[in-house]
Amino acid sequence: MRLRLSLELLGFVVLAAIVAVLPRLISDFRAREVAIVGMYFIALVGLSILTGYSGQISLGHGAFMAIGGYTTAILTVNGFHGHHVRDLWTIPIAGVVAGIAGLLVGVPALRLSGLYLALITFGIAVSFPQLPKKFDHFLGGTTGKILNLPKPPYGLHTTTNHWMYYLTWGIALVLLLCAWLLVRGKTGRALKAIRDSEVAATSSGISLARYKTLAFGISAFYAGVAGSLYAIANAYVNPDVFPIILSVYLVVGLAVGGLDSLPGLIAGAALIYFLQNHADTVAKWLNHLPALSLDPKQPGIPSVVFGAVLIVVMLLVPTGVGGLLRRLFRPLTTRLYTRS
Amino acid sequence: MCALCATVAASAQGARPLATPGVTATEIHLGSSVPLSGEAAIAGNVARGADAYFKYVNDKGGVAGRKITFTYLDDGYDPGRAVNNTIRLIQQEQVFAVFSSLGTNNNLAVRKLLNDAKVPQLFVSSGATTFGRDYKKYPWTIGYIPPYSEEGAIYGRYVVKSVKRPKIAVLYQDDDYGRDLLAGLRRGLGAKAKSIVAKVGYDPASADVQPQVTQLKASKANVLMVFAFGKFSLQAFNAVSRLGWKPQIFVNDVSSASALMAIVPQNAANGAISIVFGKDPASPQWATDKGIRLFQSILKKYGDGINPRDLKDGYFTTGMATAYTMVDTLKKAGKNPTRQSVMNAATHLTERGNPFVLPGIVIHTTPSNRFPLTQVRLQRWSARAWRPFGKLISVNPL
Repeated sequence: MRLRLSLELLGFVVLAAIVAVLPRLISDFRAREVAIVGMYFIALVGLSILTGYSGQISLGHGAFMAIGGYTTAILTVNGFHGHHVRDLWTIPIAGVVAGIAGLLVGVPALRLSGLYLALITFGIAVSFPQLPKKFDHFLGGTTGKILNLPKPPYGLHTTTNHWMYYLTWGIALVLLLCAWLLVRGKTGRALKAIRDSEVAATSSGISLARYKTLAFGISAFYAGVAGSLYAIANAYVNPDVFPIILSVYLVVGLAVGGLDSLPGLIAGAALIYFLQNHADTVAKWLNHLPALSLDPKQPGIPSVVFGAVLIVVMLLVPTGVGGLLRRLFRPLTTRLYTRS
Repeated sequence: MCALCATVAASAQGARPLATPGVTATEIHLGSSVPLSGEAAIAGNVARGADAYFKYVNDKGGVAGRKITFTYLDDGYDPGRAVNNTIRLIQQEQVFAVFSSLGTNNNLAVRKLLNDAKVPQLFVSSGATTFGRDYKKYPWTIGYIPPYSEEGAIYGRYVVKSVKRPKIAVLYQDDDYGRDLLAGLRRGLGAKAKSIVAKVGYDPASADVQPQVTQLKASKANVLMVFAFGKFSLQAFNAVSRLGWKPQIFVNDVSSASALMAIVPQNAANGAISIVFGKDPASPQWATDKGIRLFQSILKKYGDGINPRDLKDGYFTTGMATAYTMVDTLKKAGKNPTRQSVMNAATHLTERGNPFVLPGIVIHTTPSNRFPLTQVRLQRWSARAWRPFGKLISVNPL
């Protein structure tokens, strides 16, 4: 077990090193793209605590991202008691607001499971975008709220994109560490027990109510932080920025990354971003295959490519990238484990 | 891909601080964000039409020896993705200017960041009045098509003039776009604004507007304004036909494409009135017109993945008309165009004879008049085509 711990810690250090060095190797704009991948990653880490560890399905996490994003937008644009809050400080507040919303959702979730829970959370995803339209003076309606572009704090000589990159991935690493500490300890064991059998978990003295609600709250906190960062990076929120489909994308990213594999989620996050924004590039690559001629500029082609890539990925790696990683490293790890 | 890496690397190394981004000795790079997927995908044909026109101009030698490169990205009509695309266009593609991006909310979402970065936001594909009006706050932005508020006013004035005892019902998209039209209608009606007996907004994310139309019919109105978009105007005509309602319909320009009007129930569509400023390639009256012939030959030769239906699609013509004005602007922007000089040119236009707009229209701008297209005609739908009637109407949005 100790070996496994040191391997995981080593993995974390390697990841942190890559994060620190990467901006030197890529263009300024790519740094922005990787930062957005980091935001999806944060949301996926939270979702993995909920779905991967406690076994509850949520099709509504896009709404928690929206709550985070709107919290940031309101605090920076409208201000609080007449004071405009600096974007940086709104991030934890956004996380907490979304987390409280998550706790509230977690309460009815106690009585539901599986498909029914998925439906309820999907209902949240569907209904949330109506709120800004209803209260359009406060929340900006469909026109949305326009923020100032993020600026690095005084004294930091770096570009906006690099600032967002380091901010996002710094937060991502801290939150990843927190998630890791959480799932490898008592809470993680309790959540896994609930996932595997609620009856068995209850009879071992685990409070279902406490842990299921907690899992919802924590994962919503992560989504809120991600949504807040997303609003800051794009300097814009409206209901379409967090569309219903975002909730589905997050579940897709989770499945592709591997339900309970934290490092695999980076791949899931990257897939969400690149298939949304670079499906046309993928279509161009596909044209190198014989007998295919896709015009990426034709309406609908990007969506078809998105769907097709998803099917292929799920056929090839049904356990997600996390499962693939485990399979790749199994010969190595088993040998190491048995030796120790 | 590698070519891209090479150019990025080259521009990073060889960039002089004073060089204008997106302009080299041989190239001018323009960018745009439009819907190429999703429900509004068809409107993205504006960019495809413009693209074909730029390629045609390049084939003839370009503008002052420079070829125009046009990069247009898909935003699925989602303002959030439009923001992302626009940042990508400025930072990665290093475009000279953003040209003809589509959608009111999409352009609003990027206006601040473009103006902060001092990147021209040229000839936006939205008639929201703010894009022409608020130039003091946003000096790098200029509109193109007639402002929606003026369009609404034209319908209002026409109703006052030609409908006896009007009782008006309004179906409008409940956002800035629909409300802009509605406000214009009220202004055009003037003292008769009270003749609006019912107005119902619909949420642009809703599924069907039949309930709203049913509600409007109950008001016993004899005039129906359809201030909608895409599928919603289609549904409105369907609902009117199904309900057996026979009001005089006015349908706003953006939702009155011939392709759409041809597929709705004709008993509802016949007699509908709209405005027009571009030559409609689907209309028989332009079948032998030089401009439309040019349009079709350019689209066939330079268009990307064009099918026969596209040759009759007005979105492509609008795109070409806008691109024509863009080329004119670049010609006026001096030997070595800068972002400032192109803005200067765009606000000092007097363009006659744009082959893709109605004869007689003059595209005119000044630094304090940023509405390039302010002349329109009315048109009526009959026998499966739009028929313009009346003289050119000039509007004055200032």
